[in-house]
Amino acid sequence: MRRFLSILSATAISAVFSASLLPGAARAGEASVPVLVPLTGFLSLEGTSQRNGAVLALKDAPAGVAVRSEVIDTGTSPEAAVTALERAAGGKVTAVAASMLGTQMLAMLPLAQDYKIPLVTVSGTASITEQGNPWVFRFFPGDAVTKEAHARYVAEELGKKRPAVIYQTTAYGQSGKAHLEQAFKKLGVEPVFEEGVDPAAKDLLPVLTKALAAKPDVLVLHLHSGPTALFIRQAAANGVAVPIVAGSAMHQPSTAALLEPAELKGVCAETAASPISGGSPEVEAFTAAYRAAFNAEPDAFALGQYDGIRMVLAAVQGGADNAEAVRKALSGGTHQGLAMTYKSDGKGNMAHSAVIVCYDGASRVPAIAKRYDNLTGVVTGMVK
Amino acid sequence: MITLQLLVNGLALGAAYALVALGFVLVLNATAAVNFAQGDLVMAGGLLGVALAPHLPGYLPLPGLLLLPVVLVLMAGLGLLLAAAAYLPLRRRPPVAVFISTIAAGIILQNGASVLFGPEPRAAPPLLSGGTLDLGGLVVAEQSLAIIAVAALLIAGQQWLFGRTQLGRRLRATAQDPEMARACGVPVTAMILITFALGTAFAGAAGLLLANRYFVTPTAGGDLILKAYIAVTIGGWGSVPGAVAGALLIALFEVGVSSVLSYPVALGLLYATLLVILVARPQGLFGEAARRRA
Repeated sequence: MRRFLSILSATAISAVFSASLLPGAARAGEASVPVLVPLTGFLSLEGTSQRNGAVLALKDAPAGVAVRSEVIDTGTSPEAAVTALERAAGGKVTAVAASMLGTQMLAMLPLAQDYKIPLVTVSGTASITEQGNPWVFRFFPGDAVTKEAHARYVAEELGKKRPAVIYQTTAYGQSGKAHLEQAFKKLGVEPVFEEGVDPAAKDLLPVLTKALAAKPDVLVLHLHSGPTALFIRQAAANGVAVPIVAGSAMHQPSTAALLEPAELKGVCAETAASPISGGSPEVEAFTAAYRAAFNAEPDAFALGQYDGIRMVLAAVQGGADNAEAVRKALSGGTHQGLAMTYKSDGKGNMAHSAVIVCYDGASRVPAIAKRYDNLTGVVTGMVK
Repeated sequence: MITLQLLVNGLALGAAYALVALGFVLVLNATAAVNFAQGDLVMAGGLLGVALAPHLPGYLPLPGLLLLPVVLVLMAGLGLLLAAAAYLPLRRRPPVAVFISTIAAGIILQNGASVLFGPEPRAAPPLLSGGTLDLGGLVVAEQSLAIIAVAALLIAGQQWLFGRTQLGRRLRATAQDPEMARACGVPVTAMILITFALGTAFAGAAGLLLANRYFVTPTAGGDLILKAYIAVTIGGWGSVPGAVAGALLIALFEVGVSSVLSYPVALGLLYATLLVILVARPQGLFGEAARRRA
C-alpha cells in the first residue's frame, strides 16, 4: 500500500510539471523533459529509482527554468520504448530521461538521432555509447569503471591475491565477470575460483562450498539483489570468515533490508554512489527530499538520473534554448553533480568514478570506505 | 559434514517444492486442468506473509507460525476466486482455454503484486526464529527444519483427508469420474472449488515458507511452476506420492549436482533427465498414467 501511495505521489508530482510555469519575471528558459523508463517488468526496481531521480530533479528545477514533463512506462520491450519516444517527440522536447534497459536504449537511439533529442540515461549496457550516436549521455559508470574499482579495492586496499569470483549467468553477470577478469589481470591477480550462478538458484550453499574449497582469501560477488542477499546470509549462517566484496546490488537499500545488520558485518560493495551514506550536506538534502517524496530510500541509479537531469536543467538555465544547444552543453561541459563530476568522454559516457561502501554490522546503512575518482582520466583537473 | 548439510538444505527445498507440486496435482486430478498460475500463487502466499506480518490485530509483528493459518485461509479464498474466474466458466471448453486462462490469472497476480509491493525482493517472517542450530558442526537453519515439518504435516493431513473422511472420498470420486460422481449425488462443482481452495492453500504455505528462506519477488513464480511441472512429470501425472517424491528428487538433484559441478550444469542435466523420462517412461516413476478428459 505504501508503494501504491508512492506511485500516486510520483504521478501527482509529474502531473504538476505538465502545466507548471514558474513566475515569469526572471525566467531563464523552458525545459520539456519526458521521463520514459521501465516501471513494470523485471527492471522495474531500477526503473522506479530512475523515475524518482528524474522527477526529483525536475521538481528542484533551478530558478527561472519552467519545466514540463510526463512519465511514461516503457515496460520491457524495445517497441514500447520506441512508441513512448515517438509520443514524447510530438512536442518540443529539450531532453529525455531514457530507459536504463539496454535493449530499449538501442532501439531508441536511431529515433533520437532522427528527432535530434538528447537521451539522458543510467543504462549500464556498454554498446549504447559505441554506436557513434551523439545524442546519448550515460550518467552512470559502466562496468569498465566500477569493476576496476571493485578489483582495485580487493587487491590494493585489502591486499588479497586469491579471489573467488561468483557471478550471475545473465548478460549483466557475464559483462561484470569479463571486466573483473581484465581488472584483476592488470593488477597481477589470478582468481582461484570462478562460477556462474543462475538467478533462479534457490540454494547457494553448493557454490559457497566449492568456492571455499579453492582456499580463496576474498569472495568477490557480481550477483543480482536477491542472490547477493541469499549468498551473504548463507555465508554468515555458516560462519564464513573470508571477507566478501559484492557488486552494486548490495548497496541498494532494498537488498540490505533482506539481511540482519549482523549478517552484513564486514561486507563491502562497489557502486557509483550511496546517497543514504551521506557524505555532504547536498547529498543528505537529496536523500531527505527523496524519502519525503517517495517514501523510499534512494540508490545510485536515482542519484545518477538526478544528476543527469540537473545537468540538462543547468544548461537550459545557462541559455540552451533547444535540444541541439542542450546536446552541445552535455557534450562539452563539465557538471559537478552530487555523486561525482560528470564529463563526456566524447562518446557520451559521463560518469568516471565509483565508490566502495562497507557495512559495520550495526546498521543497514553502509559507510563509504574508498572513493575512486576519474578512473578513466577524462575529467581534467582531477587526480586519477 | 558438508554433505549432510547439503542434504538438509536439499530436503528443505524439496519439501517446499513438494507443497507446490501437491497443489498442482490436486487441481490436475480433480479437473484435468493444468493450473499454470500455481507458481504465482506461491508468490502471492509469500507476499501475503510479508504484508500481514506487521498489520495483524494489535499491530504487533507476528512470527510465521501464527501467520501460517491466516495465510492458509486467505489463500484458500483466493483459490475459490481463481476457480470461479479462470476455471468454472471454461470447464466445458477445450483444455487449452483453461491453460491460457490460468496463465492470464498468473500474469494478473504478478502485475498486481508489482504495483502493490514493488519489484524488490522481500522476506517474510520466519516460522519460529531466523536463527540456526549448531548440531555438532552441522549448521541447520531453523527455518529449514520448519519447512520440512510443515510440509510433512500438510502432506500427512492431506493423506488423512483423502483417505479417511467422507469429504475426501467425494473429492476422490470427483477426480476419478466427475459424471459418475454427479450421478451419485456428489456436488461436483463444490468439490472442484474445494480442490482449488486446497491447492491454493498449499501454494500459500509454500510461499510463506520459501519467502523467508529464499525471498520473494513478483516474478518468482515462473521458476516454481516449472519445478512443480517437472516434479509431477517425474513422479507420474496424478500421483500424489509421485509428486512429493519428484519434488524431493529435483531439489536433491539441484543441490547435489551443483555442489559437484555447477548450477547451470545441474539445470541442464535436470531437463535432460526429464526428456529421458518422457521418452522412456511417460507415465512417470510411479506409473500412474494421466487421465484425459474432454
